[in-house]
Amino acid sequence: MSDLHTPASAGLRRAGAVVGVGNSDWVGDWARTRNGEQPSDACGYGLVAFGCALADAGIAKDEIDGLIVGPTTAYERAAEVLGIDPRWGDQADAVQSVIKACSAIQSGLCSVVALVYGNDQRSVGTQYGGPAAMGGDAFLSYVYHAPWGLTSQGALYALTFQAYKEARGMTEAELGEVAVAQRQWSSLNPNAVMRKRITIEEYLAARYICQPLRLYDYCMINDGGVALIIAEAGRARRIRKDPVYIEAVGRSDLNRGATSLAPRLTNYYLPAQQAAASQVFNMAGLGPKDIDIFNVYDSFSVHIPLALEGYGYCGIGEAGKFLREQKMGPGGALPINTGGGHLSESYMQGWNHQIESVRQLRGECGERQVPNCRHVHYSSDVAGKAVSIIYSR
Amino acid sequence: MSETQAKTPAPVMGLFDREMWNTIRDRQWRLQACRRCGTYHYPPGPGCSVCLSTDLEWKTLSGAGKIISWIVYERQYLPAYPAPYNVIAVQLAEGPVVMSNLEGTAPEGTWIGREVSLVYATMPDGVVLPRFRLADTSSASTNPAGGAAR
Repeated sequence: MSDLHTPASAGLRRAGAVVGVGNSDWVGDWARTRNGEQPSDACGYGLVAFGCALADAGIAKDEIDGLIVGPTTAYERAAEVLGIDPRWGDQADAVQSVIKACSAIQSGLCSVVALVYGNDQRSVGTQYGGPAAMGGDAFLSYVYHAPWGLTSQGALYALTFQAYKEARGMTEAELGEVAVAQRQWSSLNPNAVMRKRITIEEYLAARYICQPLRLYDYCMINDGGVALIIAEAGRARRIRKDPVYIEAVGRSDLNRGATSLAPRLTNYYLPAQQAAASQVFNMAGLGPKDIDIFNVYDSFSVHIPLALEGYGYCGIGEAGKFLREQKMGPGGALPINTGGGHLSESYMQGWNHQIESVRQLRGECGERQVPNCRHVHYSSDVAGKAVSIIYSR
Repeated sequence: MSETQAKTPAPVMGLFDREMWNTIRDRQWRLQACRRCGTYHYPPGPGCSVCLSTDLEWKTLSGAGKIISWIVYERQYLPAYPAPYNVIAVQLAEGPVVMSNLEGTAPEGTWIGREVSLVYATMPDGVVLPRFRLADTSSASTNPAGGAAR
């Protein structure tokens, strides 16, 4: 599969680089929304993040000639709020935004792209389960099984983990290592919403939401924004001395049987992840052993063991042992979700992982900084679409 | 809202779903099978995703299947489904995977791999739902989740 995939997109290797990152005040806005306030709307959080990213890059807004907005804001309104009339624009999720930005740069459509995400999901009460569950227009599986009481994306991952843990011999305590480690990371991150460390005993004592998944296996729901500025590589080097390159990308989908959940329940997304891994590692000329940090889309803790096996960081059936013995927290064999991820830092739907990857590669992460960080691998597998990026200095 | 008043969550009703729900209401659950390659499809749709034929016929299911995963809700999301209740993923003998609930007695230990057979449940608001019971109830205990057996 990699042989078919690699040549088509190898031209994206180091085509673009991140020159600016920014985020809204997740911690402050969390406190305000918990207090019943609505600090801003989705576009407003994006605006704040975009301002921070421009300042971080040290460039003026009129240097931006491409714009990608996240899925939670309308393109035109977001662009209007940001005051950008680009010569190229699009809308995409976090990982696809990075790939699309590099593609647009590589093909000459634009040269400095702003990627802007804002979400007011907490203050407007976005529902991820129940009678008003979102997402059915994009993912039929999110709503199709409601007559039988199957609702919420957490339940889909609970079904996945139940089948997976039996097939692989993994325990619930081993899964708990994910939530515990991500709190260790977030406790070192002043930008993280949830910073109180938890023990494995506290994890196991927490209530089940949907058995076999417990409270700490679920991400938070909070308001906020994230922005990145990606420039053509040569221009990026003129903008700043330490651009972070998009070294390689990869993608492979499992759509067949998606509504019936078959790809989740019978192979746990493994073939898609293996194909995406082959593509991204081949393009980068790297392997799992070269990766300093693995940042994984973690709407639920379950994503981490699936990704460890799927991307070849451990053998099939070894993720539980890896989490228990090798460790993914500070000082562990493979640092994963060093900001705390969606479970503990902020649920920015993959966007916070991108800026955490960049900040680690720049060496800006203070107490949680992973020493001598050269390559960061980001992976998401939302609804069976396995997508990967490797960021490098 | 009391349980008896709660409406069963409405099914997604795409162009090809209505016919299936009519067969469920008649307690003769049918799915589309491809006349060319024989593949059964769920959810119902416009054609065969294996061979792209649009020549499909509605065929009554045998009612046999096997549990491939299960969960127990401890939190309530839907008025018609107070926690705790279970959801099972069943691989039908005909091939497709469907989501449903296990009624009656539950297996000791893991539910995965247990053979189940189709039953029809009438919800408090009159909606008929296809559900499952263990095909062989030896080595089984009372369903701890209870929800679906309600």
